[in-house]
Amino acid sequence: MNTAQQTARVGLFFLLGLALTWVTWETLSDGKLFKQTGYSLVAGFDNLKELKQGDEVRMAGVKIGSVERTRLAGRRAEAVLRIDPGVKIASDATATIVMAGLIGTNYIGLDLGTPGAPVLTDGAELRTKITPDINAIMTELGNLGQKLEGALGSITTTVNGDGKNPGLFQKLDRLVTDNSTKIDTTMTNLASATEKINKGEGTLGKLLNDSKLHDELVATVSEIKGAATDAKSFVADAQTLVNQVKSGKGTLGALIFDETAGNDLKVVTRNLRDISDKIAKGEGTLGKLLTDDSLYLSAQSTLKKADSAIDSLGDSGPITAVGAAAKVLF
Amino acid sequence: MKQFTHFLEGFGSAVQLLFQSARFVGTLPRQRARFIDQCYLIGYTTLPIVAILCFFMGSVLALQSGYSMENFGAKQFIGSLVGLSFARELGPVIVAILVAGRVGSAITAELASMKVYQEVDALVTMNIPPARILVLPRLAAVLVMMPVLAIIGNLIGWFGGAVVCKYVESIAIEPEAYFSALRRYMKFKDVGTGLMKAEIFGFVVVLICCSIGLNTRGGPREIGASVTKAVVVSLISILVLDYFVTKALM
Amino acid sequence: MNPPIHRNPITAVESPAVGVTIDGLTKNFGTFQALKNVSFTVEPGEIFVLMGPSGSGKSVLLKHIVGLEAATAGRVLINGQDATAEHTLERIRIALVFQAGALFNSLSVYDNLALYPREHRFGDEATIRDKVMRALQILSLENSAQKFPSELSGGMRKRVAIARALVMEPQLMLYDEPTSELDPVMSATISEIIATLKDEYHVTTIVVSHDRELALGIADRVGILMGGELVFLGPPASLRQPADPRIADFFHPRIDLKNPRFKTLET
Ligand SMILES: Nc1ncnc2c1ncn2[C@@H]1O[C@H](COP(=O)(O)OP(=O)(O)OP(=O)(O)O)[C@@H](O)[C@H]1O
Ligand SMILES: [Mg+2]
Repeated sequence: MNTAQQTARVGLFFLLGLALTWVTWETLSDGKLFKQTGYSLVAGFDNLKELKQGDEVRMAGVKIGSVERTRLAGRRAEAVLRIDPGVKIASDATATIVMAGLIGTNYIGLDLGTPGAPVLTDGAELRTKITPDINAIMTELGNLGQKLEGALGSITTTVNGDGKNPGLFQKLDRLVTDNSTKIDTTMTNLASATEKINKGEGTLGKLLNDSKLHDELVATVSEIKGAATDAKSFVADAQTLVNQVKSGKGTLGALIFDETAGNDLKVVTRNLRDISDKIAKGEGTLGKLLTDDSLYLSAQSTLKKADSAIDSLGDSGPITAVGAAAKVLF
Repeated sequence: MKQFTHFLEGFGSAVQLLFQSARFVGTLPRQRARFIDQCYLIGYTTLPIVAILCFFMGSVLALQSGYSMENFGAKQFIGSLVGLSFARELGPVIVAILVAGRVGSAITAELASMKVYQEVDALVTMNIPPARILVLPRLAAVLVMMPVLAIIGNLIGWFGGAVVCKYVESIAIEPEAYFSALRRYMKFKDVGTGLMKAEIFGFVVVLICCSIGLNTRGGPREIGASVTKAVVVSLISILVLDYFVTKALM
Repeated sequence: MNPPIHRNPITAVESPAVGVTIDGLTKNFGTFQALKNVSFTVEPGEIFVLMGPSGSGKSVLLKHIVGLEAATAGRVLINGQDATAEHTLERIRIALVFQAGALFNSLSVYDNLALYPREHRFGDEATIRDKVMRALQILSLENSAQKFPSELSGGMRKRVAIARALVMEPQLMLYDEPTSELDPVMSATISEIIATLKDEYHVTTIVVSHDRELALGIADRVGILMGGELVFLGPPASLRQPADPRIADFFHPRIDLKNPRFKTLET
């Protein structure tokens, strides 16, 4: 290889080095060492947090410039922003320091401001707003975590009990177990009542077996049956509720923090039991009706009266008759 | 103790050689051909190995940092890590080590054999100081070529990292993201610091190798011993200097 | 007697010829004494031939004259200036033909010769080329100009070394065994060169040689070193019948092939 060729190669090699250095310089310094384009704005904050020179300035998410430098000015920190030429910023646009990532990548975010507001010029000051910084957020997240933990803890105690006091589930469980016999009893009582009626025992039985009265009574019995069905469906409802509570669905939320619902359930069940008990013991009107023979006659006369009443009322259906009977009965 | 006096002697003769060479800076324009020749040897012919090594060093750096940074989900910062460590530290040190191994050893071998076969003596009797025609062109060439090698090595190292980030499945970072991360925390000062370090290392390596070569005494066996010594002293100097220069340039 | 005037063959600049004074020169390599209190003077424009057996310190003495070695004791003065002083080499052009040639192995024969004139700016490339080619012609090397030292024979190297010294146009010329590897014709040429340089340009010359014919033919004075000591100093004529038995032994070694020396050493 001759000297000229060698010289050429060395020369090119050196120029390549210069060019690469220049390109690197341009890229890494955003070319600002060579040309200062655009205009600058000042944004003052109490704390610039992680913001540093070279970070982006974005308006509504679009990059419109960069942080030229940061400085302390008296009792506040200032970021000098270099805004690309041609970008107009309304004087009521607000600047905030926004985090782009968890590990300290920040940018200055600007909102659009109101249309028609005067435009900021070189050197003007931006309005700023403080946003919680990452540290504050992390602290709050930490607190929230603690609270959640506490809440979960108390829920657990409520549900499972804390050793001394039974938990919600134990309570519900007991409620259902305690009352299931009572509910059973109620059902049995109702069943035996119907049986007695069928056998013609008691007033109602006699009434039923007395064919004369049969037709009128059919409606009454079906009324009573309806009442029994209602009672049944009420019990079923109660059971569904208990099941729902058991499986943690529906009104659980209310039940967790409101024991009265549970108590109400108890009361309702007790009332139901009382009623059926009273009916079984012949207490109350319906009980007496079902158990006391002495009422038969008066009932008969009543029914006679009702009959005449029905007659007098003319062509009325058994419902009206029952309605009249009911007026007499209750 | 003896080692220490040897070290001081070597240090002293290197400094002396530096001043002797500096006296002849004015003759550089006349020594253009020699200067170009040395530029060719130090810069141009060293480029391939610099390119290969820097590429793989960048790749490995990206691979390793990808592996360790995945643990805490900071993969997107591989670009910054590879970029900064290459520009500030690895690039200059790798290039300097290559120059010591490839160029420095050759310089010492050449000058030592010139010394052993009395060529240096012949120059002295001709009133042509060896510092002028043997040392000065090499020092000047390394000063000019070192930043060129360093910047090329630097960019190739970054590029190597980018290739690994794109094509290694466990990392899978697009070059765009890699280079934007690289740019985010990098100032030209970081690259400039690296170039400055490369410059200092290269200069010191060539000075050491020249000095050890010219101080060779004896026969062919001593030529080999001098080359070994020059490379060892160069490598130690690079790493020791690295600490102090890094500290000074921080 | 006025000192002879040295005339530069190219520039024709005239200056007083160079004289060399060696004054009590002693050189120790560790405990080994290579030179023992050697003193003599080489007059300006004189041809001084230094002889002596191998290892007697001749090459070491030459190195002291060009300042490559520093004396343990005593001094070497060139025109009254210390040889080891840096400016001596700057002011006085001294050429040394090394015993081994000491050619620049990375340079072609042509560039070996051209280095000195180029570095000392003797003139443009054409002037330098003329000079170099003339020196190569004198030593019958014109066909080897583009060869490299590694491609040369031992004798050719010696000739290139002499040609390189000639191109320097020295005021003081030192030859270390110039004819040791050369054929008789080339030896005669070297003798002629030495004589011509002295006659035409008053170049002071010191020749180290074992070649008795060369020495006796061209020498103005002869010195003989033995074991680092100067054992003889005088005109070559007085060497024809040396009084000193050591010198007689040196010039007329008794060779008894029936009874070789190493055989006596063996037993
Ligand atoms: N650098 C050195 N270190 C130690 N000893 C040396 C050195 N140079 C020469 N000597 C010793 O000095 C003595 C003289 O050496 P010198 O080279 O002057 O011999 P010489 O007279 O030139 O022999 P020859 O005719 O074989 O060339 C030798 O014994 C040699 O071993
Ligand atoms: Mg010798």
